This record gives sequence, structure tokens and C-alpha cells, in this order.
Amino acid sequence: MRKRISALGLIGVAALILSGCAPAAQDSADTGTDSGSGGDTSSETVEEVTLSVWSWRTEDVEKYNRIFDVYEEANPGVTVEFEAFLNTEYNQILATGLEGSDGPDLAMVRAYGGVQALIEAGQLLAVDDLVDTSDVEQSLLAAATGINDGQLYGVPFATQVLQVFYNKGIFDEVGVTEPTTWDEFLEVNQAIEDAGYTPMALGAKDAWMLPIFHEIVGAARFGGPEFREELLAGTKDFTDPDYVASIEIVNQMTDFMVDDVVGIPYADSQVQFISGTAAQFPGGSFELGNFQTQAPDMDLGVYLVPPPPGSVSDKPLAAGWADGSFSINANTPNQDAAVDLLNWMASPEFGQLFADEIKQFSAIKGVEYTDPVMKEIGELFAAGPTQYINLVDMRYGDPTGSTVIGEGIQRMFLGDDTPEGVAQALQEGISTWFTPGS
Amino acid sequence: MKTQKKVGKLARMPFLTGTMFVLPALLLFSVFILYPLATALSYSFFGWKGTLRGDFIGFDNYLKLFSTPPFDTALPNAFQHNILLFVGAMLFQNSLGLLLAVFLHKIGRMKRLFQTMFAMPYLVSPLVVGYLWSLLLSPLFGPINLILKQVGLESWAHPWLGDPNTAIWAVVFITAWQWVGFPMLLYGAALGGIPDEVSEAAEVDGAVGVKKFRMITFPLLLPALGTVSILTFIGAMEAFPIPYAVGGSTGAPAGATDVMALMFYRTAFESGDVGSIGTSSSLAMLLFLFIFGVAIVLRYALSRGEKRLYG
Repeated sequence: MRKRISALGLIGVAALILSGCAPAAQDSADTGTDSGSGGDTSSETVEEVTLSVWSWRTEDVEKYNRIFDVYEEANPGVTVEFEAFLNTEYNQILATGLEGSDGPDLAMVRAYGGVQALIEAGQLLAVDDLVDTSDVEQSLLAAATGINDGQLYGVPFATQVLQVFYNKGIFDEVGVTEPTTWDEFLEVNQAIEDAGYTPMALGAKDAWMLPIFHEIVGAARFGGPEFREELLAGTKDFTDPDYVASIEIVNQMTDFMVDDVVGIPYADSQVQFISGTAAQFPGGSFELGNFQTQAPDMDLGVYLVPPPPGSVSDKPLAAGWADGSFSINANTPNQDAAVDLLNWMASPEFGQLFADEIKQFSAIKGVEYTDPVMKEIGELFAAGPTQYINLVDMRYGDPTGSTVIGEGIQRMFLGDDTPEGVAQALQEGISTWFTPGS
Repeated sequence: MKTQKKVGKLARMPFLTGTMFVLPALLLFSVFILYPLATALSYSFFGWKGTLRGDFIGFDNYLKLFSTPPFDTALPNAFQHNILLFVGAMLFQNSLGLLLAVFLHKIGRMKRLFQTMFAMPYLVSPLVVGYLWSLLLSPLFGPINLILKQVGLESWAHPWLGDPNTAIWAVVFITAWQWVGFPMLLYGAALGGIPDEVSEAAEVDGAVGVKKFRMITFPLLLPALGTVSILTFIGAMEAFPIPYAVGGSTGAPAGATDVMALMFYRTAFESGDVGSIGTSSSLAMLLFLFIFGVAIVLRYALSRGEKRLYG
């Protein structure tokens, strides 16, 4: 009896591990995208259309509703229903929704490598000839472009920028100001350390944070956009001496962090900065909202790390990327109305509403930011824009560039690897799927 | 033998009635376990573009796991950690569980209280336990290092989760902390099932203390030991929530806490590869077959061992 029970339980328990990986139906959906079939939605009589828009931003539902109210007012007959799902489950929910008949008309999709599966499965509508993207920051369109067919499948909505956040109160107390040269940068950090503060908060236990840190301190050293161009063309690779030197700079920075930084989780590093034990937080613009809510009294500043000696770039660089795009379901019955809405999402009006309501950086050019820190970040990015290569270009296969370099920097911090070794591992890792010049 | 026959007679009922009783469970089992299992198996033999199934590619997904980076290095690394979790659990968690069960069996009074206390962590979600311990062990704010420093054991203070040499042992420890109540309860029940006559007869024959435990109690616990070992094995091979809470999906630091389930999670849900459904399905299949195969062999070996002991 007991034997039988345990045998059954054994099958059951072991089988559970498999049930996690079952996407829904596998029939290849008919992906006819001929726009003529959308029907005659002529504008003579006002036709009632309800467009559903899916998103992973559960925290922004009301804000998006306010944004879409503006559109609904200008377009009688159109109702936009904004639905948000749990961020961590969104990819599965969306993939399943796009396969069936009850999917959304439009949806937020992940950027760059994150959207390729939907594109390859033919679930998104190519919008090259349907949407006017002239107001969108052109470098960001890659986020919604098919890596294989080069067609555009959406309009990016948000961008992130990398820089150093600092606590102006601590800077004043220590008597230092934003550094403008590499030597000043080292002096500032030394002075902060001497004053008993941790100069930099870094959560090196969370590997995803490390390529971000590398971009912040090293982008100017390896040469940002110029290097990226050569990397993609195949005339340089990650083992290039300038790239190796940029990883070496990351290693030198451990002098300005707490000991055993690989044991510090990301969340703890945020606490270090918010609580005022650390003076600086190298990180993405997505931190801003959290810092301002958690430490409302902190006087927050931002700056870019000055180019280290030997730098390829003669000015500091701010790495940026698109955070996601809005795309149209290839099977939507309301294609014309959806295209109209997406066109609006590519307009300055939407960009400004997005910036004002969501308080993030819009992908639309010429948007004005009221928050002084956001404004400053926007200016930094405009002065020295580059792209976060390991996210923007190196997430189209397995392993992703950011995973390999993240783990590599952890090994380097632990003394188990060298900058050359990390660069070598990165090059080897991405070489399994990345072919330059393609 | 006699009791077994009796059970068999009692349990006999018309075939149709029996089937009707089993049917609802069988239906649920088929829909939620067997069907996904079969689909995962079929997925693993195909190429994928997102959720769009491509051509039949035979064992290519499996070959990929063994021949291309990052899988060819991540797989042995993760597998080795699973084995380590199993060995660690057998050594610490289960022997401690046995020890506790023996002591509790002896004390009688307050037994319930202690049993409940030791089994309590087992009722908390392992994800919560994992996050709790990663806070306790935090080198910046964690009380553990602070206490070590304050009692003069400064040299013992250590970034437990940041050092690849200690991180996986921290996972073993946290798992043991949570699950020690489970072997304790099973052994406790088995100890309670040893007839007093046997115990008393042994004492009359002069077997006391360690000798009695070695010659009488322990052999009679073997069936429970078998069950505990198999369940521990399955648990260690499927470990996910605690390693995830402690080291994130990449098994930080630098893959030192990576396990098979984390690798599966990364491949299935965090990969940039459009064919990830195929690769991750084959990984899940491999893990399933390994767990299933070893569990069957273990079960068989144990039942043979039991037969030899009891005749």
C-alpha cells in the first residue's frame, strides 16, 4: 500500500517540474496581414470601435487611462481599454493571447531580443508603411525591429539612460563637486571614502547590475558608438584592448565600494544610497522614481563619469536603450483603428503626455520634462548618447551578452578571472549565435 | 505477511465501483500532469519560433544542451550542485531529523510542542524562507555577521552568499533549516510504530543504548529511511525557490548556486533565443527522466534490501 502511494506520488512530484513549460496551442496561426481585409471602416458614420491594449505596467493603469482619455476625446467612437497583467507573467500571457482569438488589439512588447519570438511567430503586424515614425528617436527603432527581416513591428514608448546618481548633501558635507576629469573623479571618491561614507553603492550579487555599471564607468574608455559600429561590422570584437581596458576600470572601482561587494544584493545597494551611507549610486534612470519616493528629502544630482585616460571617446557618454514598444496584433479585426492609435503613439502629443503622466523618458523627440533631475538626465543623454550594447545588440540569442559579462565581472571581483578572461568569455558566449555584419 | 493479506481482502470491491472512485483523480491527473508531460516531450523534438512550432528536429535540442555554450558548461555545473544539495541534505538534514526524532521519542513530555516547533518552518513558503535568510546573511545589514563581530568572532564574519565556496552550502543549510521537521516527523512515526515487545525483548537480551539503536531500532527504521531518501532526492533535484531567493535566476555569485531548475527557468523564460521552448523542454525532459529513473532504481534497491532484512 505505502509502496504504491509513494510510487504514485513520485510520478506526480516529478511530473510537476514539467508542467511549468507548456505553452498553449501549437498550430501555426494564419498570419495574413493584408490590410484590405480590415473591412470598410470609413469615416462617414462614426463607427464604434473598442481597442484593447495590454501592458505589464499594473502600477500605471490609471495614468494610461488618463492618457487614452485624450485620444478618445479627439476620436469619437473609439474606446481604448487598457489592461495590465503581472509583469513577471506578462510574456506568457501575451504569447498565449496573441495565439488565440481573445488577444489584444495592441500590446506593449519587450524591446530588442525580447520581442523577436513574437515577430518570428508572425504575431505582430509590420508597420513600416502604416505608421509615421519621424518624431521617434531614430536610434531607438531597433528595439521594435525584426532582427531577421529588418521590418518595424512597433513604436518604442520609453527609454532608460545610465549615469551616476549622487547625494548632493554628502557632496557638500565632504566639500566636493561633480567631477569633470578622471583625476577629479578619483579624488572625489577618495575624499568621500576618507570622510567615512561608502563612495559607490553597487549590488554586485545581482549579475544584471554589473554590465550596467560597466557601461557607466567604461563606455567612454572603449568608445561607445564607434566601438559598437565596428563590433557590429565585425572589424572589432569584445577582446579588443580598449574593451578589455574598460573592464579593468570596473575592477579598479572596487576600491570605492564596500568589501566583498559580490555579497551585496541590488536591494541592499539601494538601501545604502537611500539611507545616506553611500554617496553615489551608478544606475539607470528607472531608479529615479524609487529614490524620490524613498528619500524625498535627499537632494539628488546626476553626472556622467569623465573619460578615463586612454579613452577612445573624448567626452563622457550616457548609454541608453528603449524599454519596450507598442505593437499591433497581426490578427486584430480592428486593424485600421489600431494603426490610427499607434500613429498617435508616435506623435509628440503622446510623448509629452507619457512623460507628464508616467514620469519616464519618452522615446519621442522634443519632449519637455518638468522634473529637474529628469531634465538633467535628458540633457546628459543628448550631449553624449551611446547605446547599452550588451542589452541593445547582445540579447538575440542564448547566452545574452549581459549575462556573460555580468557573471564574468563577478568572477573578476572574486579574484577568479581577469579583464582579458571576462572579455574572452563574452566574445565566446555571444559567438554561439552572433555573426557580425549580418 | 498476514496483515497484508487481510488488507487485500478488505480492499476488494467490484471492478466498476473501484474504477468510478479512481476516475475523477485520474482525469485530473491526466489533464494537469500527463498531458503537459506528453506535450513537453513532443515540444523537445521540434524547432521553435516563439510559440510557433517549426520542423521536427529529432534530438537536436538535446544535443545542443551538451555541445553548445552556455549549456555545455552550465549543465554539469548546475547538476553537480543538485547532487551536492542531495548529499548535503542526506548528511545534515536527515541525520539531524533522525536524531531529533529519537530524542523526542524518548522524552515523551513536551514532545508535541517540540515536534510542532521543529516542523514549523516547513509550513512557510520556501521563497519566503530564502529571502529571509538572505536578509539575515546580508554582509551589510544582516544580524548574523553583526553578532559574530560583537562576540569577538570577527574572523568568522563572512559574505556567506557572496563567496562561491560558501554560497551553495548556505543553500544546503537554509534548506535543512526549513525541512528538518519533515524527516523528523517521518522517523518519529516509524519509531512509534516499533512494537514495545520488540524493544523490551531486546533489552531483556542485553541490548541497550547505542547497541539497541544499531541492532534493533535502526533496521526497523529502514523503510522510513528509504522513503525519506527518495523524497529528499526528488526535492534536491527539483530545488528552485531557495536557490532562486538566494542567488537569483543566474545562481549568483558567478553560477555558484546554479541548479537545474534555475537553468531551466533561465532557458525557458529569460532567454534571447527564439527557439527556447524546444531547448527548455528538452532540459525539463532530461531532468524528469533522471529523477524518475533514479527514484525507481532506489525504490527497487530499497525494497530488495527490506526483503533481505525481514525475509
